[in-house]
Formats: sequence, C-alpha cells, structure tokens
Amino acid sequence: MLDARIRKQLGSGNAQALTIDVTVRLSSGVTVLFGSSGAGKTSILRAIAGIVMPDEGRISLGEMVYFDSSAGINMPMQQRKVGYVFQSHTLFPHMTAEQNALYGAKLDSRRSARERVRELFEILAIQNTSARYPHELSGGEQQRVALARALATAPLLMLLDEPLSAVDVSTRSRLLEEISAIQQKSRIPFLYVTHSPSEAVRLGNHMMVIDAGKIVQEGTPLEIFNAPKTAPVASVVGTENVFVGKILCHNSEDGITTVDTGLCRIELPYNGMLIGSQVTVGIRSEDIILSREHLTQTSARNVFPGKIRSMITDLDNVEIVANCGIDFKVSVTKAAVRKLDLKVGSDVYLLIKARALHVLA
Amino acid sequence: MIWPALKLSLLVVSLATLVISVAGTALGFLFAKRTFRGKDFLDAIFTLPMVLPPTVTGYYLILLLGRRGLLGKPLYALTGWTVTFTWIAAVIATTVVALPLMIKSARAAIESVNVDYEIASCLVGKNELETFFRITLPLASRGILAGIVLSFARAFGEFGATLMLAGNIPGRTQTMPLAIYEAVVAGEDEQAKWMALILTGISVAVVYLTNSLSRPKRRR
Repeated sequence: MLDARIRKQLGSGNAQALTIDVTVRLSSGVTVLFGSSGAGKTSILRAIAGIVMPDEGRISLGEMVYFDSSAGINMPMQQRKVGYVFQSHTLFPHMTAEQNALYGAKLDSRRSARERVRELFEILAIQNTSARYPHELSGGEQQRVALARALATAPLLMLLDEPLSAVDVSTRSRLLEEISAIQQKSRIPFLYVTHSPSEAVRLGNHMMVIDAGKIVQEGTPLEIFNAPKTAPVASVVGTENVFVGKILCHNSEDGITTVDTGLCRIELPYNGMLIGSQVTVGIRSEDIILSREHLTQTSARNVFPGKIRSMITDLDNVEIVANCGIDFKVSVTKAAVRKLDLKVGSDVYLLIKARALHVLA
Repeated sequence: MIWPALKLSLLVVSLATLVISVAGTALGFLFAKRTFRGKDFLDAIFTLPMVLPPTVTGYYLILLLGRRGLLGKPLYALTGWTVTFTWIAAVIATTVVALPLMIKSARAAIESVNVDYEIASCLVGKNELETFFRITLPLASRGILAGIVLSFARAFGEFGATLMLAGNIPGRTQTMPLAIYEAVVAGEDEQAKWMALILTGISVAVVYLTNSLSRPKRRR
C-alpha cells in the first residue's frame, strides 16, 4: 500500500555526508526498518511523513500521491494522514494528556473524538493520566499518550521512530505487546524504526536492514538476524543470534529454565519467568562451539545436530549459518574451518552452554 | 500640567504597546521561521531605531511623514491633514522606537520553541496558523510577555523621536518625559519631582506585576 522511492543527499560536503537511496514497499502488518544510528532510518520516516523533502523519487499511499519529483507534487504533511510517534518528548507540554490526544482528533464531531480518545486511553491503560501534564508522566506513559495522539487522527499509516528508546526496560515488553495489538486492531500498516534486535523480532512481520542509506537485506526479522546474507548485514545486525520462544518449564533445583521455540527446546539459566510467557533469547555467535562428532560427555546443556547452510569469510572470521530447526550464526576461525574441513552442507553438532544464553529485554 | 501629560502618556503608551505587541510578534515570527530574499536587510532596517539616536529616528520620520515627506505629501494633498504635531505622531514615533525590542524578544522566544512540537502539530493535521496560536505562542508566551514589558518601558520613556515628530505642545503632544524636561528647564523643581516619581512608580508596578504573572505555575 505504501510505495516509496526516495533519494536524498544528507549533509553534503561534511564527514557525515550520506545519500539515502531506498525503495520501501509495505502493505500490512509491522515493517521494521533496522539499522545502526546514522544509517538514515529516521530520514526515511521524515521523508514519508513530509517533514523533509526528498531530492528525487515518488512516494504514494494507495491512491494518494505524497510526493513525485517528476510531476512536481509535494503534499503538505497536514494532508498525508500519517500518525507519527517520535523518540521522546514531543507531547505538548502545556496541555494535559487528554488535551494532547484530543488536539489532533477530527473536529467534525467533538463527542466522537472524545469517545475515541477515551477508548484509546483504555486500550493503552492510561485512563489515569488524562488530567496530568506530560512532565508528570513516566517515559512509558508519555509514549502511550503520544501513540494515542497519533491514532486519534485516524491515520492511514503509522510511522514510529524508536518509540521505546526513552522507555525503561521493564515497561518495554508490555508496550511492545500493546503496539502489536493496536496494529492488528487498526489494520493499517506500521513502519517501525529501531536498532534493537529484540523489538524487531517481537514486533516485525517484515524487516529491512538499512546501512549507509541503502537497504542491504529484506526478509523476516528472524531470518535476517540468524542468517545475514552478506558481511555488511552481519555487522549491522551484530553477532547475536536471536529467537523467540515460550517458557516451557523451570527446574530451580538444577538452575535451568527450558524454552520452547517451536522447532527445538533450549535450556538456559533459571529465570523464574511466568510459564507460557514469551521471551526473546540471544546468544553471541562466538559463544557456540561446532563439533564434527556427537559429544555426550560435555557440560554444554544444549547439543543440536545441524547442517551448514552458508559460510561468509570476513577477515579472520568465518561466519557460518548452521540449521538445526532454527538457524544459528556461528563465528569460528579459519583454522577451525580448515581442521574440521567445514563446507556448505557439512553435518555438524552445535554445543551451547546454558550460561551463554541470555534473555533480551 | 501633570494630569494632561500623564493622561496623554498613558494613551500613547498603551496604543503603542498594543501595536508593538501584535506587529512585533508577527515580525518576530517572520524572522524566526521564514527565509526570503532581503531578510537580513529588512532585519537591519527594523533594528535601526534601537541603535540610532532617537532624534535621528525622529528626523527620518519627518522626512517620511512630514507635510513635504515621502508619504506625508500625498497624504496632505489627498486629505489636507498631516500627522506631524498631533498625538498620533507621538504614537507613531513611540512605536517605531520601541518596536525593535519586541521583534528581538519575540524572535528569540519563538526560536526557542522546540520545532518538533510544531512538526507534531502539523503531522496531526493542523495548519500553520492554528499551530502558531495553539502551540508556538503559548510555549513562547513568557519570552513574548517579557518583550512586551521591555517595549512598554521603552515606550514610556520615549523622548527624542516624539519631540521631533510630534513636538512639545502642552495638552496635545506633551507626554510625561517631555513635561518633565520642560519643568526642569523652567525651574519648576517640585513639579518635575512629582512627575518623575509617578513615572517611576508606574514603571516599577508594571514590571513587578508582569514578573509575578509570568512566574512558572506551581506544579499541580
């Protein structure tokens, strides 16, 4: 539904000069724009919203043409009907939470606007903030009000620019679930900018990795995190393997918690989280050991048989993607590759210590 | 001569402050938010009365508005009326001299408002005018209020340009500062003293009142 081709030169001449050149297409669900800071993610959002004008390109949402450099069209941001949530601190400080949310709500019927805002506050569990001013709200509450303000305008597209960056860790997980629920309820596309793997995996139906102004890989978040296609993507997404699962059971005596990812079961250190709750688990690629034979006498709690899917050689490292139900990135030295004679298609065993696995916020 | 001078001063200053508040805020907004050709030149022109001696500003105003002036001549030919030596001339001279202070204050106040608030307002569909009145203006209100007080104070003390354009006609164009000057020159020390005290009292009261009004609200 959103179809954007954007070319824009940023900061010409200086050290941070960057040319953004992307084609973004999204129809439904949550699309994640993932990249490190300075990659141009925010600029893409701002161009779609009309805050900045691209040098060249065409942006349209359904029938509406937002921008077309060749036809000389540049729709003002007031008419674009996008909901925009900033990183932080853009609630109007002189208005209460409710006034903030009502501010942009459609004027045609005051009453229905009020009802809509009340409903949004209910969904976001912030009814108690209505009469309070932004400086009296926590980071999480502020962002919920900002979400309500954007949604009250009945937007056709939501743009979220790292909305959780100023929210404390304990609130993030709940807010993520709420954003996901709101998206499913509103049925409009969400474009979500982040550099957090956990947010990307939990929220994204689709993900685009941005590096130096270009899209370097597209796919589902898990697919990209655990099997980056090229070295630049690998460096952007980091060496972390990320996967989601549900807490299956605890064994506090042994100090073990078992997580079911649907494709395999993984043992990690005991964490006491609610059984059945969703978790994002990470392990760094250099913490996984590869073995050609099935070791049984080992302290590693997780031993999975798998097959090598791909190998990227990068300076001294070899980034291997091994599939054992789910894909794992494994980082080993060239010496190890030579000694074990590893090739694409080789059968290997992955050894993962429970202690090397950690739950991501 | 105290009462007519005081009455005239209050009339002239309140009218001038009214005009200055509106025009100064509008010009401050223009300079803060817009880029256009000749902006720096226009800015310099509007700043000039702040740096020129008021008598020189008054002189230029005569060249512009006098009976043989650039605008004054056609006006006189059309209506047979000229602005010089009327109380309106005092309002004009006062306005021109005090306006730069308001423009500078308003511009600084408007520029200090985080642009993201204004962008957020536009993104939820509000046009520039509504964004200005409902977001920018309330958030810049303290600086703008300070500007109004400053220009009021400057207007109340205006002497030179008023003398040039409006003259010093008791009961018609003689404002308080002019009356004080005349009293001192004529050796009427008692009158000069009282007028100076009244002028000081009013200025102190206004500044004090605004300060207490603009103090940040207690957090509820």
